[in-house]
Amino acid sequence: MGRVAVIASDQAIVVFDRGRAIPDRLTRGRHGHYLELAERMLAVYRTGPGRTRRELHRSVGGVFADEPDCPSRRIAAFCKLLDDAGEFDADPDGYAARLRLEVFALAARYHPLVRSGDRLYEKDEAAVKADIAERLGRSWEEIDAALYADVIDLQRLGSFRGFDGPDALLSAYNVAQLQACLYRAERMAVVASGDFRTILRHAKFARLLFTLERLGPSLYRFGFSGPASVLAETRRYGVNFARFLPALLACRGWELRAEVRTPWKRTAVLELSDRDGYRSHLAPPPEFDSSVEARFAEKFGAERDGWRLSREGEVLHEGQSTFVPDFVFRHADGTEALMEIVGFWTPEYLGKKRETLRRFGRHRVLLAVAESALRSKKPLPEGVLSYKTALKPEVVLAALEKLRGRP
Amino acid sequence: MIDLRFDRGTLVLGGLGPDGFGVGIPAEPWTWDPRLPAWRCEAIHYSRVLPGLSRRFGDRLVDEVPAPLRVRWPSVGLPELRPEQREALSAWTARGRRGQVIMPTGTGKTEVALAAMAATGVATLVVAPVRDLMYQWHRRILRGLGFDAGIVGDGLHNLKPVTVTTYDSACIHAAELGSRFGLLVFDEEHHLPGEFRREAALFSTAPMRLGLSATPERSDGLHRDLDWLVGPVAYRQEIGQAAGRTLADYHVVRVPVALTTAEQVRYDDASREVRSFIAERREEYGKYSWQDLCAESGKDPEARRAQRAYYAKKSIEDRAEEKLRILEDLFRLHAGERTIVFAGSNAMALDVSRRFLVPTLLAHSRKRERLEVLEGFASGRFPAIVANQVLDEGVDVPAAKVGVVIGGQGSTRQAKQRLGRILRRSGEARAILYEVVCEDTKDVERSRQRRRSDAYKGPGRMKRKMGRGLFG
Repeated sequence: MGRVAVIASDQAIVVFDRGRAIPDRLTRGRHGHYLELAERMLAVYRTGPGRTRRELHRSVGGVFADEPDCPSRRIAAFCKLLDDAGEFDADPDGYAARLRLEVFALAARYHPLVRSGDRLYEKDEAAVKADIAERLGRSWEEIDAALYADVIDLQRLGSFRGFDGPDALLSAYNVAQLQACLYRAERMAVVASGDFRTILRHAKFARLLFTLERLGPSLYRFGFSGPASVLAETRRYGVNFARFLPALLACRGWELRAEVRTPWKRTAVLELSDRDGYRSHLAPPPEFDSSVEARFAEKFGAERDGWRLSREGEVLHEGQSTFVPDFVFRHADGTEALMEIVGFWTPEYLGKKRETLRRFGRHRVLLAVAESALRSKKPLPEGVLSYKTALKPEVVLAALEKLRGRP
Repeated sequence: MIDLRFDRGTLVLGGLGPDGFGVGIPAEPWTWDPRLPAWRCEAIHYSRVLPGLSRRFGDRLVDEVPAPLRVRWPSVGLPELRPEQREALSAWTARGRRGQVIMPTGTGKTEVALAAMAATGVATLVVAPVRDLMYQWHRRILRGLGFDAGIVGDGLHNLKPVTVTTYDSACIHAAELGSRFGLLVFDEEHHLPGEFRREAALFSTAPMRLGLSATPERSDGLHRDLDWLVGPVAYRQEIGQAAGRTLADYHVVRVPVALTTAEQVRYDDASREVRSFIAERREEYGKYSWQDLCAESGKDPEARRAQRAYYAKKSIEDRAEEKLRILEDLFRLHAGERTIVFAGSNAMALDVSRRFLVPTLLAHSRKRERLEVLEGFASGRFPAIVANQVLDEGVDVPAAKVGVVIGGQGSTRQAKQRLGRILRRSGEARAILYEVVCEDTKDVERSRQRRRSDAYKGPGRMKRKMGRGLFG
């Protein structure tokens, strides 16, 4: 997983058009020639080690000199993304600071350094500087270049990690603009038909709270916001939305709708879905968590004896705690049952699972536990199945049928 | 059980249903949060809601909001307060230790705050506008109360029962800082009421709050919110009251400079480019403003060139060569007197530093360097320093006798603060503020604006001289 490249709000470009927020996006259709520009920008940085940030940024500006379609914020955003893909010599040991204090202390007795000497000030600027250079045993040019080498604009590029080609730079740019648009967001809703676990887990990582609405079988609307969002409209959590976004982009089957504050203090809407084809730097979530699950799903098929199977098909929640069982079985008569598979486990893991099941006990939940994980020989409680290496569909079906017809 | 807890800048009241306060009874300031579900409000309301909740729920209420730590000051060595400082402190104490103290720059607001901290002895967060000031508070707390305070900001995150921070960091970390302190000190409190920054006050449970400023008024009127974010004004001393008593008198000397021929040519070229571009557009579209130009610069290389020409103009003005020459004259004239130069940009500050080999105080300077520069300036090891606008507010610069403004924007507050900086009393000596401005450019206009600000309207104490004669 690569580092997430982000840009600052003053590098964001958003067009607000009839209540819609449209972040800047470079597309193959309209910006095909940007591939070449991106390649030239990358070349600037690849050959850039040793040059200052200011020089690099000027060169990137130069790449766009004759490009009619190019806001200055776009150039600044590219510079930021390129800067972040490199290491600059920021003088962490404070060498420049020590050097200048030494130089200033030496110069103090000649203050002020005059352009041309006279009776009062015998030595002029050049002479004093030459003196100091001699005392420090280096040329003045060298000292002058090192004096403020730690100032951000004057820091020199050490190495450049780069991007996997010009199209990767353009993809990173598009995602970064999308994220920057979300900095302005006050709330965000996602309608999803799958990958619920990934979505909820990353929302939690991004420290967001959720609301949840079931729109239909395996179809949910999540509302995301932060603690204080219920008290007042705030953009405080925009950064959290932005942090969450790459994980969502990697998922399948979702639509996002964010309410974004315009500079004129109105609300605009950002709409987005997996069909928009943004490329996340994160890999898509795995289809199955374990091979036991994968093999079971394969053997069971999409439907068997009137039971339809879907993976991670429902979300149970109580307040902010959630439980997304591995499988959902839906019978033609409307009966629904959930199944969770416990394979590899630790005592803590099992304890947590038990707590979760207790909490959501009012639902019909089957638990499939690997035999090796069972310690006692006691008969299994109802709803708990065991398996050796693979979970057999017949065993599950039998258990399902027992659940059916019961209230 | 009814439990009250702190959740990232808010209070959560659990164990009470949506009708828990009684149907139809306003639950203010609480809001029902169906996500948990529980009642929620901003942390600022803590000390207000607690008594009512205790009365109502008695033993059923479990208050899990952490109580701020008590602080025992290792060694209190504060100077005796002057009468007006004592007055300010007792007025604030009498108002329940929640309120604002308005005093002109240079009258010792910091001492009032330190005395307040000494008296309250509770975990305290000091919020300052910029890093310089944050470090300055750190030094003052160490010197006056013997406490090595924690620092949050400037890349550091070192939380202690007494911590100094900046407004930006206080906001970013409000969720984490909000439940740890009993007293908040807002230095230059006019920074607080902004839409985002106010959350530094809103998201804290601290019952005691002290706001300090010379000029709390904001053009957007939001300073009125300080009354509840911090507390009502407890004490106010006007600038006129202070001048002549605690502040030294001062001269303002304006020094006009001309651009060199080469600069003038470039300046005129750039002006022409901007003007003709705008004129052209106006012919075509009627109204055409600077905003339109900026909006177009993304689509139109010509507009972009005009935009660049405009910035070039500003830069020529800002970094005019003649300013450096005048600076040499001023340095000569005041050789042996502590001189501080205010540049309008980082680039100009660096120009001055590299030309005269005098230290800079810039946004990026690290703590140690800053300290050494300020101490060197105080001890006379460095005869002059140059600062960019970072120093604009209240940074404790050792009393300088001479100030030189060679660039920068002319807002009222900046002007006041800048003056305050060099107007510190130093015996009988009067301070001088030079303003070096380009003739026939926007610089002059800014200087006029500075003069119009009321800080200059001293009651006939100020003597104005035109600079021309001095350098003739």
